[in-house]
Amino acid sequence: MGTQVKDVVLKPDAPTTLLLDKHADYIAAYGSKKDDYEYTLSEYLRMSGIYWGLTVMDLMGQLHRMNRNEITAFIRSCQHECGGIGASIGHDPHLLYTLSAVQILSLYDDLNVIDVQKVVEYVKGLQQEDGSFAGDKWGEIDTRFSFCAVATLALLGKLDAINMGKAVEFVLSCMNFDGGFGCRPGSESHAGQIYCCTGFLSITGQLHQVSADLLGWWLCERQLPSGGLNGRPEKLPDVCYSWWVLASLKIIGRIHWIDKNKLRSFILACQDEETGGFADRPGDMVDPFHTLFGIAGLSLLGDEQIKAVNPVFCMPEDVLQKIGLHPELLS
Amino acid sequence: MAESEEEVDVLVQRVVKDINNAFKKNPNIDEIGLIPCPEARYNRSPIVLVENSLGVESWCVKFLLPYVHNKLLLYRQRKQWLDREALVDITCTLLLLNPDFTTAWNVRKELVQCGVLNPERDLYLGKLALTKFPKSPETWIHRRWVLQRVLRECCPQGGVRKGQSEAGGVADGEATPRAERLQRVLQEEMKVCSEAAGRYPSNYNAWSHRIWVLQNMAKGNLKVLHDELSSMKLWVSMHVSDHSGFHYRQFLLKALVGELSQALDWASTHLPRPTADPHRAHQANGEAAAANGNGNGTEDRQRPGVPKLFEEEMELCTDLIESYPGHETLWCHRRHVFFLWHHWRLELSQTAGRHSDESPGGSPLHSAGAGSGAGEGGAKSTQAMDVDGALGGGAGGGASSYTQDSKRLKRGPLQPRPPALHSEHSFIAKTLSACRSPEQGRFAAAYRKWLDSVIAS
Repeated sequence: MGTQVKDVVLKPDAPTTLLLDKHADYIAAYGSKKDDYEYTLSEYLRMSGIYWGLTVMDLMGQLHRMNRNEITAFIRSCQHECGGIGASIGHDPHLLYTLSAVQILSLYDDLNVIDVQKVVEYVKGLQQEDGSFAGDKWGEIDTRFSFCAVATLALLGKLDAINMGKAVEFVLSCMNFDGGFGCRPGSESHAGQIYCCTGFLSITGQLHQVSADLLGWWLCERQLPSGGLNGRPEKLPDVCYSWWVLASLKIIGRIHWIDKNKLRSFILACQDEETGGFADRPGDMVDPFHTLFGIAGLSLLGDEQIKAVNPVFCMPEDVLQKIGLHPELLS
Repeated sequence: MAESEEEVDVLVQRVVKDINNAFKKNPNIDEIGLIPCPEARYNRSPIVLVENSLGVESWCVKFLLPYVHNKLLLYRQRKQWLDREALVDITCTLLLLNPDFTTAWNVRKELVQCGVLNPERDLYLGKLALTKFPKSPETWIHRRWVLQRVLRECCPQGGVRKGQSEAGGVADGEATPRAERLQRVLQEEMKVCSEAAGRYPSNYNAWSHRIWVLQNMAKGNLKVLHDELSSMKLWVSMHVSDHSGFHYRQFLLKALVGELSQALDWASTHLPRPTADPHRAHQANGEAAAANGNGNGTEDRQRPGVPKLFEEEMELCTDLIESYPGHETLWCHRRHVFFLWHHWRLELSQTAGRHSDESPGGSPLHSAGAGSGAGEGGAKSTQAMDVDGALGGGAGGGASSYTQDSKRLKRGPLQPRPPALHSEHSFIAKTLSACRSPEQGRFAAAYRKWLDSVIAS
C-alpha cells in the first residue's frame, strides 16, 4: 500500500496554448476595480502588486496599456522622509516595497521620480553588524531582505554603499547541508529563499560559493510527476514555486536538469481560459502574482512569444541591458 | 438593507465595540473565525461568542474591513486624530481580519513602546490571528519584535545568560518574577507554534519562528533542547509528511550535538583540574534565562550521549519509513541525520588528532568519547546491525511501530550502535527488495545515490 504522491493531475481539456491576449486584458482590467473588497485586503502589498502587473505586461510587450503618469505619481507619494518606500499611501516604508518601486521605475527608465540618494541611505541604514539586513526600522532579519537590498542598490548603480563582505558572509551562513538556503541561520531550505540567496550571490558576484551540483539536485527533486515544481518536499506544485526553482536553476547553470516540456504543460494548464491570468494550480483562482510567474517561467523555458526575462531580477532582459546590468550566471 | 455612509459608520462603530466588549467579557477567547452568513439578521450583532470562540458573521466584513482600514491610514497620514484607546481597538479589529497589514502591527509596536499596550496582551492578539491565519508572515514577524522586547525587559543588561546571572546575583527579589515571566512567555510561545503547525502542514513561518525562539530565548539550554526533542518525537510520528517539523527535529539534534561536543571538548582539555571554569560550565549545562534551574549533574548523566542520540534518531527514522512507505520527508530526514552524524565523526577525529598532538596520551574522558564514536564505532555498529537484524523486525509494522521500547528490551543493554555507511546500504537494499510502493523505491534509490556522491566522495 503506497502513499498518494502530493501532486495534481492535469485534465485532458486543460489549456495547452498560451493565451497572451487574455492575460494582457486581465492585467489591464485588474487595477480598475479599486473599490473591490479584495483590493483593500491586498493594499498592504500594493507596490509589489503593481510591479507584478507592469513586469508581466512588459514581458508581453503591452506596457503601454498601463497608466504611467498615475503610477509614477503614486510611487512618489509613497516615499517617506527616511528614503524608504511604503506599499501604498499611508503605509510604513519597507525594503520589500522599496525594491518593487525601484523595479517599476527601472521599467519606465524614470528613477528620478524619487529621491534616489535617500533610497541608498535607507538601504544602507538597514544593514546590521553581522552583515544581514533588516526589512525596516523594526529589525526583522531575513535573507529575503539581503536580496532586496542588493537588488535595489544594483538597479541604482550603488552597490558600493554597503559592507559587501559582511553581507555575503551572512547569506552564506544560511546555507544548509542540502545546498539550499533558509531565511536565517539554521532555518529550513525553501525555494523562495533559495531564489533570493542565489540571486543575491549572483548580483554580488559570489556564485562560486554555491554548491551548484548539490543545490541543483535538491531543486530538481522539486519536480513532480505533473511537471509542476513545489517549493519544499511533499508540498503541492505551484506556478510561483515553478518560477523560483526554475530561476535558481538558471542562475546556477542547471536548468537542463529538469523536464522542461512537462513543466511547460503544467504552467499552461494553470491558465484560466475565460478570465485570463494564471492560478497557482489548474482550476484555482487567478491573480497577478501567479500571472507574472507563469509568464516569466515560460520565458525562461524559451517561449519566443514572450520577451526574455532575467532570472535574477525577474525583469525583461532589455531593461537590464539598458541599465548595463549583467548579473553573473553559472554555466 | 440601507447602506448610506452614515449608517455604515454607525453600524461599524457598533461592531468594533462589540468585538472589544467580547474580549472584556471573556478574556479567555482562544479562537476566531468567520461565520458564513451572506445577509444580516436584524437586531442581532454580527459578533458571536460561543464558549471561547469568537465568530464574525461574514456579511459585515465588507463594511467593517474598509472602515477600520481607512481609519488607520487616515491616522497614519496625520489626517485624523485617534486616541490610544481607539487605536488599540481599531488595530485589533483590523488585524483579526487582515493580519498581514504591516503598518497596523507597527502602530501596535509604538503603543507597546509607550506603555499603552502590555506585550503579553499584544502576543495574545497575534495568537488569535494565527488561529485563523496560521501562516501570516507579518504576525510572526511582529511576535519576534515583541519577544525581543520582553527579553530586554527581563534581562536589561543584555544577553540572556548574562541577564539571568545578574538578576540572580544582584536583585533577588526581582529575579524570580523576571525568570518566571520569561519561562511563561517561552512556554506559551512553544504552544502557539505547535498550534499553528497543527493548523497548517509544513508551516514554514511557524517552525522557523520556533527555531528563532530557541536561538534567542533558550540558547545553549540543554534541558529545553532535550525536552523539545522528546516532545517532538510523537508529533513527527503523527505528521510524517511535515518536512518543516522534521527540519526542526534536525535543528534540535544539531544543536544538542553541538552543545554536547562543546562540553566534551571542554572536559577533554580541562577535566584533570577539579575547579572548572564557571563560564564554560554554565554553557555546558545550558543555564540560560529560560532554564527552570537544572544543571543538575545526575540528570545530565541520564541523558543520552551523542552516539546514542544518533542511534535513536536513525531507529525512529527506519521505523517510520517502514511503517509509512513513500514519504519524501522521511528520506530527507534520513539524509540530514546521516549527514550530521558523518560530520560529527569527522570533526571528532580531527579534534582527537589535535589533542593527541598537544598532549600525548590524551585524557581518559576524551579517549573514551572518541572511542565509542569516531574510532571503532563504525565497525562495531555494522556488526551489531548484521547480527541483531532489528531492522527486519520493524518491517511492515503498524502505526504503533515507532515505539522502540520493545526492541530495546529485546536487545538489552548494548554499546550504542550509531549509524554507519555499511548499515545504510543494507537498509537501502532491504527496502528495495521488499518494496511494494514505487515512490519508496524511487526515494531509496535516490538516497543510495546521495550517499555515494555526497558522503562517500
